[in-house]
Amino acid sequence: MEYLILSMSLLAVGVYGLVTKRNLLKMLISIEIIAAAASMNFAIFASTAGDKLGQAFLMLALSVDTAMTAIVIALVLVAYRELKILDIWDLSKLREK
Amino acid sequence: MFPYEEILAVALVVSAFLAVHLENTMHAVISFGSMFTVLSALYFALNTPFAALFQLIIAVGTVAVFFLAGEMLTPKTKIHQKLRNKVLGAVIAVGLSLPSILLDLQPDTLMNPHNLSFSSALWEYRALDVIAQGVVILVLALGAATVLKERRREG
Repeated sequence: MEYLILSMSLLAVGVYGLVTKRNLLKMLISIEIIAAAASMNFAIFASTAGDKLGQAFLMLALSVDTAMTAIVIALVLVAYRELKILDIWDLSKLREK
Repeated sequence: MFPYEEILAVALVVSAFLAVHLENTMHAVISFGSMFTVLSALYFALNTPFAALFQLIIAVGTVAVFFLAGEMLTPKTKIHQKLRNKVLGAVIAVGLSLPSILLDLQPDTLMNPHNLSFSSALWEYRALDVIAQGVVILVLALGAATVLKERRREG
């Protein structure tokens, strides 16, 4: 089995979600899937090389990714509470007003 | 070679696809959580136990936050998505996972392992990164707190 191709499949699923969905939560889930696909490569190459350094990088990447998710969810919550908007197109229309 | 790797690969892509494809947000979050669990199992299969454990711990926190956000932000009206549509999504996802099972890359890149223990890899080679990352996470946490506090003050 080829893990690199699996990682690319996961990336394709994430990009599909990011392009086709308009719901902010769904878009955030898609971004998380893309991040998981990217960080999976660290584990793959760490396993191939038998090196622990890749796992250390993976931990760093996952921590920053989770912190980023927290702040984006805070922004989504504020956008919903203030404007009752969960659709990215409606949110972008505000710029024109 | 682990015999269950192929099943995990298919489950990973199917759960990721359903997390994006399902209309009901709570079902999508459940699928997203199962994707993280399967990913963690794949990391164990790759013989990277630290990554697997960390992924699992991170997944618990992330999925809990998504559950809360999904529950708060989802309208209470019922969303009907046809079963045929869901099954079609799962079939497409199985098709997407097949190349990783059937194809085989032959990399001819030489890799020179450092033969480090995990703790020395983290604290001797990447110590500055870890400290810098702590600062980044602190700033992000303060940012999230500020965003939510501003709203409360205005309310």
